[in-house]
Amino acid sequence: MIIAEDVAILPEGIAWGLLIAFSILWVFLGWFLGRKNKTAEDHMLAGRNVGLALATATAMATWVTANTTMTAPQLALQLGVWGMFGYSLGALGLILFAPLARRIRELMPHGFTSGDFIRLRFGKFTWRVFLVVSLIYAFGWLVSLAMAGGVLINALSGIDYRVGMTIILAVCVLYTLLGGLRAVIGTDFVQTIIIILGVAFIAWLTIDKVGFEAIHFNLMEERPELLNLLFPAAIMFLFNNLLFGVGEIFHSNVWWSRAFAFGRSVGFRAYLLAGLLWLPIPIVAGFVALATPALGINVPVADMVGPLVAAEVLGLTGAIVVFIVVFAALASSLDSLLAATSDLVTRDIYRGHIRKSASQHEQFRATKVIVVLLGLLTWAAASYRGELPIIGSLAAVLYFTGAFVASAIWPVVAGLYWRRANPTGAALSMIAGTTLGLVSYFVIGFYVAALVGAAVSLAVLVLFTWVAPRDFDWRSLAEAEPRDTAGARGGIR
Amino acid sequence: MTTERMLNPALVWALLVLFWLVPGSSLAEPAFDSPPERDSAGFFTLDWSGADRFELEQATGPDHADARIIYRGSDTSTTISGLSDNAYRFRIRAEGAETWSDEAVVVVEHHALSRAFLFFALGAGVFVVLLLAIARGRKLA
Repeated sequence: MIIAEDVAILPEGIAWGLLIAFSILWVFLGWFLGRKNKTAEDHMLAGRNVGLALATATAMATWVTANTTMTAPQLALQLGVWGMFGYSLGALGLILFAPLARRIRELMPHGFTSGDFIRLRFGKFTWRVFLVVSLIYAFGWLVSLAMAGGVLINALSGIDYRVGMTIILAVCVLYTLLGGLRAVIGTDFVQTIIIILGVAFIAWLTIDKVGFEAIHFNLMEERPELLNLLFPAAIMFLFNNLLFGVGEIFHSNVWWSRAFAFGRSVGFRAYLLAGLLWLPIPIVAGFVALATPALGINVPVADMVGPLVAAEVLGLTGAIVVFIVVFAALASSLDSLLAATSDLVTRDIYRGHIRKSASQHEQFRATKVIVVLLGLLTWAAASYRGELPIIGSLAAVLYFTGAFVASAIWPVVAGLYWRRANPTGAALSMIAGTTLGLVSYFVIGFYVAALVGAAVSLAVLVLFTWVAPRDFDWRSLAEAEPRDTAGARGGIR
Repeated sequence: MTTERMLNPALVWALLVLFWLVPGSSLAEPAFDSPPERDSAGFFTLDWSGADRFELEQATGPDHADARIIYRGSDTSTTISGLSDNAYRFRIRAEGAETWSDEAVVVVEHHALSRAFLFFALGAGVFVVLLLAIARGRKLA
């Protein structure tokens, strides 16, 4: 399971140099960008006036994660051409969220979290179910990102998995702590540019050095099913991945906090543009994995394939580029997730359940403590990579959460657009969708969990709404917010 | 860690002496670690241990007539994917050894296409409903 140091492409000295240089850069940017944060609202929502360029960049960079740069190649290796095309369908999550972002901003001009919306729209029981779903997903994503950091560093340099994972996690915790969402969005802009240029460079050099003909010939000889358009598991995976991506984005506070933070007319265009820009990235990133048979390299663990192929084809330069690109992609997602999850825990758990009269200062402090605690919990879970069944590989961890998030698609869509959606139905749709999604995960495979979760959730919510419709006045969302958020906004206006 | 603390030092020494005295102990031979017997997803991982460097062979028939070495080196696992329906035989040995020390047979039998298209249709249906719900909701809003 471990790449021995004598076969690592990147000398340990260079790896440590890159690690230290980029760690310092991200932490400095975090401090620099976040130094003007004075209130919890500044820290959590960057003043609610992010412009189109930064908004598009942060949406795209956050969605280009370790899961894109490392899981897309993994899926290409496991499920073939449909694996990478299927992964790119995740772009539809961003594109379909564009109208939702506009609606969210209109309905809740003073909103803070996705939990706020579910609580006000469906009541406390549904809110609590939603929080469980959302926090399990956030934690699964955090763990998969931390794992990706450790895998990357180990695959390229031979530095111990736990050491690399710990450093990347610590750096992201530190600069998120210093700068809040403002730092997250600022660093995302820099990271987006690095990711786009780096991924394009690697794909171009792979095609140039190996060639389409050699890739195709060796695949046909050694792994023919990867080119088979009727690959059964891959066919099952296509809509599963699409619905997984939609579920991730529709429910997660990572995207809701941006909908609240972007300027009034920015959200729709930013999410649409980010989705279109993101669409080709998994195909470009995943394609390199198909060169594995042509190169004759061994892939000890499937999630290592991207860095291994790039390093093999491109040598030292390639290894350095991959290292920088994936480090940027990891950081851009880890920081967003840490920030958004800490906001959710602060608002919906700390202020919503533990200390309802928490002052602005107490919430500000709680946000920071929670970032550190999330970092520690993630570190503890990621340390068990390969030792627990669901922490086996990046895709296994990630798609385990698919059952949870896909079952939250319909409560969010119905909550935003269906005036008569039934609150009990919304809660039960998440419970039933998650349960049957998990059953399918273990009985059939990771490639159907989200699909089953979404289908079951839809059936339950439609049934309850049809049998017992409940009227809702949208205006109550906007009316409830100013009083509700007074503590967090303090005296800044 | 708990296991280490519970081990009796005398027992550890006795086991070490025993393995040293018994030539060609089976623990020194490369062997697969819990290989899968069947695979329907189309991909699986093989793990092994027992030497510093290894040779891994893949074949389809029991006589290994079409055998080929698919890995030679110090890694202790590999990802297999893209194989068509068949029974695949994998053998492992220490690099340079004359005889194979362990064999694993994995039967690859992909999901039925009817099942695959059933899930495809289910996903397509949910997606179409989602598009309609958002389009209609936007219009009403």
